[in-house]
Amino acid sequence: MRNPLNKRLPRELKSEVGKYLVIFVLLVTLIGFVSGFLIADGSMRITYDESFEKYNIEDGYFDLSKEMTENQKTAIETNGVTVYENGYVEEPLENGSTLRIFQNRDEVDRVCLMEGMFPDEEDEIAIDRMYADNNQVEIGDILNSGSRKWKVTGLVALSDYSALFSKNNDTMFDAVKFGVAVVTPKAFDSFSTKEKNYRYSWVYDTKPANETEENDTAENLIKAIGKVVTLEAFVPQYQNQAIHFTGEDMGSDRSMMIALLYIVIVILAFVFGITISNTITKEANTIGTLRASGYTRGELVKHYMVLPMVVTAAGAVIGNGIGYTVMEDVCKNMYYGSYSLTKYKTTVNAEAFLITTVSPFFIMLLINLAILSSKLTLSPLQFLRRDLRRRKQKRTIRLGNKIPFFSRFRLRIIFQNRSNYLMLFIGILFANLLLLFGMGLPIVLDHYQENIQQNLISPYQYMLRVPTSILSEESKVKSLLSMMEFSRAVETDNETAEAFSAYSLNTTSEICDSEEILLYGIQDNSRYVSIDFSKIEGDKGGNGVYISSAYADKYQLRPGDSITLKEKYKGDTYKFCVEGIYDYIGALAMFMPKAQLGQIFDMGNDYFSGYFSETEITDINSKYIGSVIDSDALTKVSRQLDVSMGSVMYLVDGFAMLIFIVLIYLLSKLVIEKNAQSISMTKILGYRNGEISRLYILATSVMVVLSMVVTIVIDYYLMLWIFRQIMLRSMSGWIQFEVDSSLFIKMFVTGILTYAIVAVMEFRKIQKVPMNEALKNAE
Amino acid sequence: MTARRICEKWGEGMFLEIKGIRKSFGEGDSRVDVLKGIDLGIEKGEFCVLLGPSGSGKSTLLNIIGGIDHSDAGYISINHEKTGDMKEKKLTQYRRKHLGYIFQMYNLIPNLTVRENIEVGAYLSDEPLDIDEMLHTLAIYEHQYKLPNQLSGGQQQRTAIGRALIKNPDILLCDEPTGALDYRTSKEILKLIETVNQKYGNTIVMVTHNDAIKAMADYVVHLKDGMIRKSYRNENKIPAQELNW
Repeated sequence: MRNPLNKRLPRELKSEVGKYLVIFVLLVTLIGFVSGFLIADGSMRITYDESFEKYNIEDGYFDLSKEMTENQKTAIETNGVTVYENGYVEEPLENGSTLRIFQNRDEVDRVCLMEGMFPDEEDEIAIDRMYADNNQVEIGDILNSGSRKWKVTGLVALSDYSALFSKNNDTMFDAVKFGVAVVTPKAFDSFSTKEKNYRYSWVYDTKPANETEENDTAENLIKAIGKVVTLEAFVPQYQNQAIHFTGEDMGSDRSMMIALLYIVIVILAFVFGITISNTITKEANTIGTLRASGYTRGELVKHYMVLPMVVTAAGAVIGNGIGYTVMEDVCKNMYYGSYSLTKYKTTVNAEAFLITTVSPFFIMLLINLAILSSKLTLSPLQFLRRDLRRRKQKRTIRLGNKIPFFSRFRLRIIFQNRSNYLMLFIGILFANLLLLFGMGLPIVLDHYQENIQQNLISPYQYMLRVPTSILSEESKVKSLLSMMEFSRAVETDNETAEAFSAYSLNTTSEICDSEEILLYGIQDNSRYVSIDFSKIEGDKGGNGVYISSAYADKYQLRPGDSITLKEKYKGDTYKFCVEGIYDYIGALAMFMPKAQLGQIFDMGNDYFSGYFSETEITDINSKYIGSVIDSDALTKVSRQLDVSMGSVMYLVDGFAMLIFIVLIYLLSKLVIEKNAQSISMTKILGYRNGEISRLYILATSVMVVLSMVVTIVIDYYLMLWIFRQIMLRSMSGWIQFEVDSSLFIKMFVTGILTYAIVAVMEFRKIQKVPMNEALKNAE
Repeated sequence: MTARRICEKWGEGMFLEIKGIRKSFGEGDSRVDVLKGIDLGIEKGEFCVLLGPSGSGKSTLLNIIGGIDHSDAGYISINHEKTGDMKEKKLTQYRRKHLGYIFQMYNLIPNLTVRENIEVGAYLSDEPLDIDEMLHTLAIYEHQYKLPNQLSGGQQQRTAIGRALIKNPDILLCDEPTGALDYRTSKEILKLIETVNQKYGNTIVMVTHNDAIKAMADYVVHLKDGMIRKSYRNENKIPAQELNW
């Protein structure tokens, strides 16, 4: 005979449809989103990983100042590599962006055609798909650089530009103001040699077996190439952000999504647990009778677990269905909105199924099993007597008679429901954390943009492209000659220009990835950097420095701290002592006198590598200008985050509100249900609905408001910590989590309005509690 | 003294044997001795009524017999099996097979119909009685598809009796089964209990503070302050129909 108790299940589901439906909707939304994300992420990762072989992505590139001869190429290729020409020109377009144009490649770094056609004629061009999206360029549109015009024939993804970094040492790529494109060989040849940048990509004949071997091979190669040609830049693939940033970023997003899923599942499992616990309290007499009649604890645990598990399983299955269909597209587009990835193929992902279906099911099972088993360990007699306390209450909390009666009544309700309110607090804490992230990030980015524009060292900062020959260790004469040639070439008549020297080192932190710190050598009496170095020179053995406020904030450094930095590609380390903090948020930087920098790195007193300037410098050959740091360049990070995360933020906001509504609805519903008998009795006594609501709803309202206020404060500090961890672990540079106090008011109002909806529903519920409820249970 | 009298006095060799049962609640100054050494013996098929005022310990004794409460001393033996020696799992199995419970509060499952509530009891037995026959016996056949809240108190109690009886338990334990019912309905329920006792031969132990009910019992036990004040076998029992109070 089948257990007749099972017949209650569909009726139970029907009578509690609101409760189960909201949890189901939340589960479907959550699992749908996470599963869609994991499927898209998994498929995207496979697509990305396979692209290395499929499109023959280079093992590295080097830049030269002029075209390489065939003999030089042959000489380099004797080092176990095949070298391919991969030159480009950069064309500033009329829309304010810059397009890096390559000749269409068919050997290395092959191009994936996403839409349309490859260019066929000299005036045709195929441009990066994401750049096109961000600049609203469509196939058939004309791009204009002033001197040239191209018709867009297709949208492409360049396999070596999945993240559109224009320069490898940029903090963040900028797919709005920078794009890549391909033209026909004939069109590329039509550019003058002055316009061309001579880049060469190499592919190893035998791939290095691991990262260490790759690093050693690259170090040997740079030496070998340096003997043949004068290098302008040398970037092995593993250091190329345009190729590797995407892969690294995918991993961190994935961990965040899985963490989000598990946190919400655990909260929902506890909500289910509390709900069932409440049902058990309500049905205590019946349970007592069943236990007395011989029903085992196991049978009852199983019975009460069926519905939560069915709802979870259904939510997981339907969520996965939605994940594979609708949400996969949404998440795929999120990736395509952030990265310029090649064509995507959905791959069935068993791990995603395990994470989004099997794991939530077991988390739910274990938590509910623990709560139920513990609850049902009580004896049949305790159930019959409705004596469900595990421990006897030793003392009643005394409330003074001076407290008005209604307040005392409400306090008793709060004491009685403290486990529900604790869960409500945890739920609100989590929902507010999501809300703070969703609503706060755009404000943080705006703040960053505003602050950075007011905080520039100078309106224009030119980083010169210093030939690597200047730093030649092998020939001092060669180095000196190069230096003289370079100095002449980069002289300027701009009166506001002030030379500075710069060097970059990397951090040595063990907890996060190494990142670049820019060391500025500042002229005496600088008009742009107002630091009085006279106090520190000498007494610290030449190691006293000022650091930028961004550096100090990110690594929590204070004056007096010592810092160890290392050479990027070598093992040499340098120690510095922080003498002061200089208010500059644009970069993780260190400031010291120019002479000090020259001395530390043996570059001589005349060496300089850039200019600060009030106005634009127009009299230096652009080939010597590595980059211009203006407000536009410094706000790249925030702009790109805005582009790639903007839509996600709305999803996060919506999801936070959904969690908020679900938790408040379920838990305040429980308070009402738990007190149905008392509510009924107060009605019999003559209390009006309004008065009863003031007792029961106001008690919950007080707890909601208190939880809101307390959790907003906790969440703010929690978010400061989380944001710092994200910055430390997965982003170079520093953005401070700085929001206006108005955000907290907005969050509070959002929460209260959400609660108001639930409160109205609860008020209606109170109106519907029948007066015979009290009598029925007293039978 | 005849052998039967000796057995009766100590309860030895009886189907339901209650020996030296003591029970107290609380500790120290607040300790209350609820049962102060109860010895009883009830024969198979007998209808025993435990009478006494509130606080006399009758419900506690019933709960100890049913294995849902433990005694501090003494033992209960049902058909020569001591329940005190049983671990919780075995005790549950024992209740499942041999005991039926009826309470003053009907404790029906609100979202199961009358028939389904009775099926809840049937599920516990390998050889349950026929449900339709039981529904007829209980005179609730026509209400079998109603939910408990669509029934009168008497009908709900009939359903609770059906749930307890359907597994054909050896002992039916009734704790104030008519306590919440009016005179007429109470008599109907008592008549029903009498009928099932005769029809199915279950041993019935009923706790009540209604003195009139003793007239229909085979065996009457008066409890007061945790002790048996008086117990006797009723030689002149009358049908439930003729009870008056």
